[in-house]
Amino acid sequence: MGAVTYPDEKVADFVMQRMVPVQVGANMPLAAEFKVKWTPTIVVLDYYGKEHHRTVGFFAPEEFIPNLLLGMGKVDFDTDLFGNAIHQFDILLEEYPKSGVAPEAIYLRGVSGYKSTHDAKPLKEAYEKLKAEYPQSEWTMRALPYSLL
Amino acid sequence: MITWESDLTKALGRGQAEKKPILLDFFNPG
Repeated sequence: MGAVTYPDEKVADFVMQRMVPVQVGANMPLAAEFKVKWTPTIVVLDYYGKEHHRTVGFFAPEEFIPNLLLGMGKVDFDTDLFGNAIHQFDILLEEYPKSGVAPEAIYLRGVSGYKSTHDAKPLKEAYEKLKAEYPQSEWTMRALPYSLL
Repeated sequence: MITWESDLTKALGRGQAEKKPILLDFFNPG
């Protein structure tokens, strides 16, 4: 990450503008607190220190930013800020539709839409989009019950 | 260039002040 992804200008701009970056060695006590067993481990926290998203292993720049957007969306989702979560997922899906995390973003966008309106339509739309665009994704399977709504 | 914090407590304070989430990277120190 330190050799390829973090020096990338787009990644650096994204991180510096939208997050507070912290870097800690895996030999430090904080790593034990977070039960880190392998590096790189990337964790997205809310500003109270609660974990909402974690990844392990290398990410190239074009896949790292959508991963961070997913994590930011999950911070908003977990704290019931569903409109904000939808905004993060929309950015991800508009700018990085081929990302490996796009199907999860579609799924969580649908759930966020339901949670904010109590209308089942966003769930069904999420399933239809997943089925059409990512038929092999596990998130399409997870959304299968919404096809019955 | 990313300017990293090394102290999570300080980063959380910044996060609250700037209304930003935290990116916490655990790296292999070698």
